[in-house]
Amino acid sequence: MFFPFFLTILPFAPADSLPFAPADSLIAGDEHSLDEVVVVSIPSDRRKRSAKGQVATIDEHLSELSHVNLIRRGSYAWEPVVNNMQTERVATTIDGMKIFYACTDKMDPVTSYVESGNLQSISLNSGLDGNPQATGNIGGSLDLRLRKAGFDGDPFHLTLSAGHEWNGHVQVYGADAAVSRQTLYANAGLFYRHAGDYKTGGGERLPFSQFQKVNAFTNLGVKLTHDDILEGTFIFDRATDVGYPALNMDVAKAQALISSLSFRHQFRHAAWETKAYYNHITHEMDDTQRPDVQIHMDMSGKSWTAGGYSLFTASVRQHDLSVNGDVYYNRLFADMTMYPGGAAPMYMVTWPDVGTLNAGLAVRDKIWLTGGRSFSVSAKMAWQHQKLNNEEGFKALKVFFPQMGDTYHQTTGRIAASYSHPLGPVLLAVGGGWGSRAPTVTEAYGYYLNNTFDQYDYIGNPHLKNESAVELNTQVRWQAGKELTITLDANAFFFSNYIIGQFETRLSPMTVDAEGVKVYGNINHATIANFSLKGEWQLTDWLRWNGSLSYALGRDADSDPLPLIAPWAYATDLVVSVGKWQGRVELKGNARQQKYGRKYGETQARPWAVCNLNAQYVFAPFTLRAGIENVFDKRYATYADWNHIPQKGRNIYLNLTLDL
Amino acid sequence: MYKRNFFPFVVAVLLGTATTSCNSNDDVENQAIEIPGITIDGDVDCCSAEEALQVYKFLQTVYIIPELSTVVDGKYNVFAYAKSASFHTGYNELYFVATKKSNGNYIKNFDITNLSPLMLMTKMGMRHSTPVSSGVASFNDNYLAVKKGWVAFLMNSGDSGSWTFSYDANVLGATGGVEESDIVVGPLPEGQSWLKSFKKDNTTFYLTLKDPSAWQTGTNTVEAFVSVKSDDSTQPYQLASEQFVIDIDPRMPDMGNHTSPDNVGLTPQADGTYQGTVNLTMTGLWRIHLTVRDQKGNILAGGDDLSDGYSSLYWDVTI
Repeated sequence: MFFPFFLTILPFAPADSLPFAPADSLIAGDEHSLDEVVVVSIPSDRRKRSAKGQVATIDEHLSELSHVNLIRRGSYAWEPVVNNMQTERVATTIDGMKIFYACTDKMDPVTSYVESGNLQSISLNSGLDGNPQATGNIGGSLDLRLRKAGFDGDPFHLTLSAGHEWNGHVQVYGADAAVSRQTLYANAGLFYRHAGDYKTGGGERLPFSQFQKVNAFTNLGVKLTHDDILEGTFIFDRATDVGYPALNMDVAKAQALISSLSFRHQFRHAAWETKAYYNHITHEMDDTQRPDVQIHMDMSGKSWTAGGYSLFTASVRQHDLSVNGDVYYNRLFADMTMYPGGAAPMYMVTWPDVGTLNAGLAVRDKIWLTGGRSFSVSAKMAWQHQKLNNEEGFKALKVFFPQMGDTYHQTTGRIAASYSHPLGPVLLAVGGGWGSRAPTVTEAYGYYLNNTFDQYDYIGNPHLKNESAVELNTQVRWQAGKELTITLDANAFFFSNYIIGQFETRLSPMTVDAEGVKVYGNINHATIANFSLKGEWQLTDWLRWNGSLSYALGRDADSDPLPLIAPWAYATDLVVSVGKWQGRVELKGNARQQKYGRKYGETQARPWAVCNLNAQYVFAPFTLRAGIENVFDKRYATYADWNHIPQKGRNIYLNLTLDL
Repeated sequence: MYKRNFFPFVVAVLLGTATTSCNSNDDVENQAIEIPGITIDGDVDCCSAEEALQVYKFLQTVYIIPELSTVVDGKYNVFAYAKSASFHTGYNELYFVATKKSNGNYIKNFDITNLSPLMLMTKMGMRHSTPVSSGVASFNDNYLAVKKGWVAFLMNSGDSGSWTFSYDANVLGATGGVEESDIVVGPLPEGQSWLKSFKKDNTTFYLTLKDPSAWQTGTNTVEAFVSVKSDDSTQPYQLASEQFVIDIDPRMPDMGNHTSPDNVGLTPQADGTYQGTVNLTMTGLWRIHLTVRDQKGNILAGGDDLSDGYSSLYWDVTI
């Protein structure tokens, strides 16, 4: 049943020549834990995609996924949050490749280093049942699937798109072309975005909300024999002059090089893919444009990762089986130089050039039982070795942890199982699992990292224990005829040794005006639970209604609320489809954030509601999309808007895509 | 078949290798140590060849001070060295080496005494000395032929006054020295201040921070000296016999007086110095605020609150 799910992905490639589909569809998780947003899709496709089509940003695509929220520090590079867990508890891969952000302030989640043009889809595995390459995914794993032309497709395919958004004068231009032959394919593209400062509801300009980005990519595939395929990918991505209105500095340059080479052999009912990859990120912050900077500072970060994985997938009778071995080596270095007027510069290493060698082995089996029932189980073990390669950074941390060494080992694992059982019109699924993660480099070795959310300086703790969680989840889907589907989804994560910053009043902050210092620590236990109810109702041939309601809960060991947990949220829309026209009206909002992490410096988010309109018209080979976001020009900020920076006010957009 | 043919070949190669072993030193005829200007001739006053080499190597890392170098009794050279080419305010380490004029050999046993810096304040017609080490001592067991002392200049040379320096030398029974030789003392760079004073019952004490140039981000040992002003202020200020306990509070004035944890105050050591530990979380200007207490814990100096809340008695160190 997953074949059709993936087969329509490429508008220009016939189903049987898809480079990735057979392997992917075999390893696809249970329906209730898997979600996907399609970046490139044919207009008639009913699967999830952004209303802005391919012109949408990665962040806009991500926001279509269930279980996903986005923390916003500006217009660009939003941080995906899965099941109300941030980057530390989410594994993000690009076509199975590990990549790690290079900014100590999380200004560059790795999803910011790809562009819509690079991607076919973004898939999400909720919770511990991660994709095979994912490590440390307690909250979930995201895989950004690259767009490959595939063999035997349209001999030549061209896509051109252009878009404009009036609020902030956003310009988007994209072009990509693909050639496909029986034994060869190649596609390449360019993408450019430029945005000025946007206006918040009420018309006030929000300074430092601009950004600019260029992205170029190419994918190549060669069939060596009928069953042997060699594929290569190269992506260059560069964002410059990126403003972060929620922070006190901006980004001069964030640049990534992403490359991979893979070899795949297809058997009759199996596939074996082995990939080697390398990626390199450089990140440079900039506060020279800001007025009233007390101390000018340069902060730069570097991250590179080299690795590989080998994935074997097979369908044997009622089993869909996969085995994956992966290994990667990542280096993370960041430093900061501050220039007090006239006095000597002050320098410190904020990530002490940490080298992480990680090797993992994952297995998964999905068993199709009789009567539509299915059972799936997945497990992964990972071994990790870390070394602090920068002596200055090591000595500085040693002031706080005199007993610390410069090498550490961690072993982590996860296991998850789920079972689904149809009962008449109801499909019931239950799942559970256990998993652990190693502390991140920031949590273990970060040095005076200022967090503008709570105004504390954070110091890593090399003595942290692994964090672990037990997950329980369930989904009940009621299908009333073909017209109405109601889905109830709930999960809960029971953490042990939950890692979070803890007050350390004995230490003095470094950042001027900081409230104090926190040191990462394990708290005995914590709980995060998510609940959602969704409805889809095809009222008539031309009218469809969607509605959703969700709530989440986060508690620490003292039963106090954790920060950045979503309040009650709702969304409802009506979609009208007439011929080549499609129109949609949407209302969405959040209730007041009743439980917020006051203890962790969070302030309460106010309720909000906005209305969006959009329409789409297809006149082949063109697709025209237009819309008005925040129709009533409301000034609002969500709980996930860092420091409550206001969202965009009324925004009119128009974009045109040409597919040849 | 193959093995049988192979064995003689291996033996031949091994033998060939063994007999043609070579080394880039094969052509060097004289393997003895050569030190420019010094002949090793079994001089009882000097040191082993190895020790002489160590002295020679050490002297390559310091700067000679011509104003303080002299000839004793026509037979011996006494050379003075410092870590920088010129003196600066605060702590300066001084090194002395004596050699025989005849053959340039180092001399192990010689004494340098009465290190006497003197400031003549021309306009005020005043003269005063400054803190010095009580004498000189052999650098350490490895450098018996190098003597080490220190002087901490209270002020730099300039329009208001100029410095002279005197000392007595005794080399193998011959006496001599330097008498009021003019020296120039420059200021320390901005962000460095290593010498402060405080008063107790009309007696002035000086707190000299030993050269902190080697300090780095992380944990560092602080070494310091407490000297007392002589009754006759033209006499060198020797180490105080009275003992104190000195609390330290390192702060970064440019970073909102950020500080570091686990600093250990200065306590007197057997060798007359004071030692403690300072933790520095980053490079930049560190102001080390001082509170001086007597052995009973009573505050004698510092510990007062400046407008920013910190002691007015402090050293500045920029790393």
